[in-house]
Amino acid sequence: MKKLLVLLFSLVLGIALTGCGGSQEKEQPKQAGESGGDVIKIGAIYNVTGAQASLDGPSLNGFKLAAKEINAAGGVNGKKIEVVSIDGKTDQTSSTNAASKLVDVEKVSAIAGFSDSNYALAAGPIAQTAGVPFITSGATLPSMPEQVGDFFFMAAFGDDAQAYAAADYAVDALQAKKAYVLKDTAMDFTMNLAAFFEERFKSKNGDSAILLEDTFKTGDQDFSAQITRLKALKEKPDVLFISSGPSDCGPIVKQLRDAGVNIPVVSGDGFDTPLLIELGGKGAEVDTYFATHTCLNSDGEKVKKFVDDYKAEYNKEPENAFAALGYDTMHLIADAIKRADSADPKAIREALLQTNNFAAVTGSITYADGKRVPKKSVSILKVQDGKFSLIKEVTP
Amino acid sequence: MMNLQKKKLYTLLALVALFVILFICNMLLSPYHMRIINLVGINIALVVSLNLTNGFCGVFSLGHAGFMAVGAYVAAILSLPLVKKAIILPELPKWLGSVELSFLPSLIIGGLVAAICALIIGYPVLRLRGHYLAVATLGFLVVIQVVITQLQDFTRGARGINGLTQYTNTWWVWIFTCITIYVVWRIINSAYGRGMMAIREDDLAAEAMGVNLTKYRLLAFCVGAFFAGIGGALWAHLITVVTPLSFSYDRTFSLVVMSVIGGMSSITGGVVGASLMTLVPELLRNLEVGITVGGISIPPLYGISQIVLSVVLIIVIIVRPKGIVGSREFSWNLFKKKKWNTMNQMEN
Repeated sequence: MKKLLVLLFSLVLGIALTGCGGSQEKEQPKQAGESGGDVIKIGAIYNVTGAQASLDGPSLNGFKLAAKEINAAGGVNGKKIEVVSIDGKTDQTSSTNAASKLVDVEKVSAIAGFSDSNYALAAGPIAQTAGVPFITSGATLPSMPEQVGDFFFMAAFGDDAQAYAAADYAVDALQAKKAYVLKDTAMDFTMNLAAFFEERFKSKNGDSAILLEDTFKTGDQDFSAQITRLKALKEKPDVLFISSGPSDCGPIVKQLRDAGVNIPVVSGDGFDTPLLIELGGKGAEVDTYFATHTCLNSDGEKVKKFVDDYKAEYNKEPENAFAALGYDTMHLIADAIKRADSADPKAIREALLQTNNFAAVTGSITYADGKRVPKKSVSILKVQDGKFSLIKEVTP
Repeated sequence: MMNLQKKKLYTLLALVALFVILFICNMLLSPYHMRIINLVGINIALVVSLNLTNGFCGVFSLGHAGFMAVGAYVAAILSLPLVKKAIILPELPKWLGSVELSFLPSLIIGGLVAAICALIIGYPVLRLRGHYLAVATLGFLVVIQVVITQLQDFTRGARGINGLTQYTNTWWVWIFTCITIYVVWRIINSAYGRGMMAIREDDLAAEAMGVNLTKYRLLAFCVGAFFAGIGGALWAHLITVVTPLSFSYDRTFSLVVMSVIGGMSSITGGVVGASLMTLVPELLRNLEVGITVGGISIPPLYGISQIVLSVVLIIVIIVRPKGIVGSREFSWNLFKKKKWNTMNQMEN
């Protein structure tokens, strides 16, 4: 028994160490053939397993695709990009271990990763302490760069930007005077989004412009109570702001429309999921608008090229905007390295900070006035004929 | 049989050796490796304290992560520098908003608050047995999570408290780990410990012998919670951020797995389980890099480490249902009889 056990563990450790040896072998010829520092190492931490995988998996695919394209075009300043990717496992301890490994062992020049602030806030400070730029491709909590420090950048817009854009669209294009807000209280993202929307909407239409603020929790199946309260309102709202995540948006819209509520629905990038059309059915076709990072169906040259390249590489359409955000993040880093003409993390940070009108798939990126939340265009999308179509792009 | 004094001397020497090795590691190894070593220490303390309740007293608790959360949040709020506190937690009541404690008192208060929570919920809940008790403690974990998420003024809800000073280092962790092991060892070798084990084997018989069930169970539960609270606080000041998600079911179950794999009713088992289950996943990460062998490139297989680990766990449980160590303990006597494959521990 004991022998069997010892055998078993030595086997496991053996495999692990072989894996270790394998990776070293992989690196050695490169260093020998290209005389050392001709490779720029960029770290990537994405939660490719666990609850975050549906967002982080596409992000990593996009990130790697961009690195491959850059290398195929001759690299950056004559050097090849090597992506060192570690799985964060949707766990804070694993994510910080990964960040520490990238900084201390792999000595990367910059780190990218994550679509959720829980993990970005855990891993970011390690890069900050080591003086390595950390760019989160998909997390949208706008206070993060302030919370972590001057080496922390966001590639996506903040929740405030998308909520403001949604509110502006409701007021200007939909001519809304009164709004109803339904928010998911189980998520930080949906709570923030609703708060920012209300702030903007009230500032335009007065303090009494929000007729009712109702709540639900992620995973609720039945929204009839909320719909009854909405219908019982004395004054009819002109717009419904539904602050929900990807899993609930379909059922909510379907149940609203089934109950005969045809008031326009507006939301944020939580709606940017094929589930909206799959579960929302015909209901989603009726006046459903949302603000998000980009429209992958649009005719823009950059978007088209990205979608085609992604299809060629992975044999599938990009799953969502997070794939494009991962792709943009790699190009953003490469652009900064090119301008810095150096793989030194501090020089890269300085160059990142100077980023001005960088043309990305998800809109142009500018870090204005030393802020590390990008000034970036927001796309307003509408559901039409079973697809998302671009209404307009706004820069708040 | 060795005499007691010789054993004490050996233990002391082993302790000195441990800290000398840690000191050398601290000088030579990278921060990444030290982080893993510190995580091993924190996990050992957490699992050994879990073994006191779950293994020795038979109170199968799934609330350990809840106590970690209490300790972590209390210590985080107390130790946060005043400048940061004013920005991050502006809504704190004045008496709390103007307090900045150093690390040690924060840790101890964190542990004490966790123990008080254990006392409050333990009194009604510990009348339950077996599955019912496990579910009730799991309920506590849910309550704690909801409270932390809703108590915005104190905890910032789901945004979490970040920017904690990274106080946790090798010395804090390993001194705490040694203290935990020592305290648990003293308890199980005292009349209290014998009573706890009697309750585990047969609570009716134990009660008939005059063991006060509630008192003994509460003691085990509260001591376990105290160390879980401190462990949680140490973890928080290592990772430097606490969010409600940090202390989820996943964490409770990973601790229970460590405990079961090593051996639930053994301190040595806790040490072995925690060390293996912290180190092996990190080593297995190396499996997840893509390898090119003879021109055939294998892409990175994410998730393979979890699969390998799960298979190994299943095999271990089939081969050794009571865990790797079972209910045996490390003892210096082992060296006299034969060479036992020591998992090099210095206790007893």
